[in-house]
Amino acid sequence: MTNAKLVSVNLLAYVDQGEVGNDPYRIDRDGNPYVAVGDGGIVLGLRLGDSVFGHVGDHAAPGACLVHPSDDARYAVVGLSCIGNRAIVRTGDATGHEGVVFGKRGGGERVIVIFAQDVLARLRPADQVAIMSRGQGAAAPVAGITQMNITPEALALLPVDVVGDRLDVGVRAVLPSRTVGNGIGRPMAMWDVDLQVESTSEAARDLRLGDLVAITDLDARTNAGFRKDSMSIGVVTHGTSPQPGHGPGVTIVLSGPAKHFSVRSEGAAHQGLREETLLSKASK
Amino acid sequence: MKVASNVEDLLTQVLAGEVWPPLADRHGYRVDPNGDAFYLPGMGGVTLDVHCGDPATGYRSDHLEPGLSVRHRETGPNYALQYLTCIGNRVEVSSGPKKGALGFVIGQHAYVLVDMEGDEMRGVTTGDQVTVLAVGQGLKLADHPEIVVKNCSPALMSAMAGGTNAAGQLEVHVSVVIPPEAVGAGAGMASEYANTDLMGAYAGLDDDLSLGLESLRIGDVVAMPDQDHRFGRGYREGWTSIGIISTGSCLLFGHGPGPSTIMSGPSSSFKIVEDDTANLSFFNLVQHRELS
Repeated sequence: MTNAKLVSVNLLAYVDQGEVGNDPYRIDRDGNPYVAVGDGGIVLGLRLGDSVFGHVGDHAAPGACLVHPSDDARYAVVGLSCIGNRAIVRTGDATGHEGVVFGKRGGGERVIVIFAQDVLARLRPADQVAIMSRGQGAAAPVAGITQMNITPEALALLPVDVVGDRLDVGVRAVLPSRTVGNGIGRPMAMWDVDLQVESTSEAARDLRLGDLVAITDLDARTNAGFRKDSMSIGVVTHGTSPQPGHGPGVTIVLSGPAKHFSVRSEGAAHQGLREETLLSKASK
Repeated sequence: MKVASNVEDLLTQVLAGEVWPPLADRHGYRVDPNGDAFYLPGMGGVTLDVHCGDPATGYRSDHLEPGLSVRHRETGPNYALQYLTCIGNRVEVSSGPKKGALGFVIGQHAYVLVDMEGDEMRGVTTGDQVTVLAVGQGLKLADHPEIVVKNCSPALMSAMAGGTNAAGQLEVHVSVVIPPEAVGAGAGMASEYANTDLMGAYAGLDDDLSLGLESLRIGDVVAMPDQDHRFGRGYREGWTSIGIISTGSCLLFGHGPGPSTIMSGPSSSFKIVEDDTANLSFFNLVQHRELS
């Protein structure tokens, strides 16, 4: 099975508007009302490498979120899209321009796609975008580990290397499973997990969009759940949230028994997914 | 519980609900922690023979909802029912052969869950109407303003052991203290709705899944350290939430038996006492009439 070919499927998705409820206020973890900015839709000025705590926003993702109006089709769009997939604008002022899938969000089922900033500014909600999806089912570089939500080519851009019979992974931070909030218990092919961390937390304060993080005692091979001595690795794909139980989002890409991993916390030296590298892959 | 409160100021609202059918989709199967498929009963309908005080786990079931699973057909009225109904509220069957039978609310799980005497319950089924006397939201503790109370009827508050102690803390008796690693699905959701699934209670599955929670009972009062559920459910060091186990056996990974939250505040404001009688089955709620 490990030599079986991956299948590519062209999907159609639509640029999202973002949502605010019929009451403008949400309630933060201290009970204070706030108006959510950047929860879906097209967000300008938020870039890979930015701190997850650096902007006033609620689950703000860099680039544009893509959705589909039909529930079942939306599940497929978010489930089949993988980090590194090319996304080609088919309608509107940005027609013909390409972006790259950077992550996904559960609940509202959104695919996060980054574009060059000048392209992003010309996108408009409801524009059609074709995603050349490919990657689910890809074998991890080491037996015993499950890979998901990322193409083998995009994984190769990250500090992930086979060393002996283990996967050596460089990450910004290692966090315990108890910090995982919204997304736990959900299917990881379709959801991200939110980290319940604050900007004052020593382990999480330096998290940046595009970073790799490791979560201990989390088995995310199907649904995400607690399992002692499991390890899950993900890409930080959206910013924090004031809501209790929510926070910076992680799209899981690797999960399995911890014994198959060598995780290194690289701290300030860590370099995760970079915008220019990802976008340069898109045009090829 | 011996505690000063504003219980005299609370209003009771009469709410209608309906026993909702179990739901399935055309694919049927779900996936357990080991990736194996299962198809099991649990949510919706009237689930017999599991009552307060009974083990929460050990059944061939997923998302086990003891007793009646109740909602309202329309969205707005349903949120009224789900958000305003409190644990311990009186429920009366309003249609069908068991019209007039009494029960009480044991929690929320996207349905209001109702326990009643076993033989009465056998005559209730999907579509039967129930009436809930909803009272409890807005309950405040005069000497503990930092503790947020929710989903807790005056009947439940009065039946619980403990109260304000000499040190000024709120003494709460609980059957089990839940490690924060156990908190699964439900994190990030409103704490007036559904409940907190607890992992680590997969009786009979692998040891590395266990957090020692296989002995939970339906109706257990539990303490959840490092959980702040005042304005939604989240992990937060230094805070504690109190809940009542309202659902049981679960095989879906990341899910499990779950408490509906009744209190949340700084950990230092609580004195937690472990006590095996901290369970709804000892509180005599089925006889209680909120309006008597």
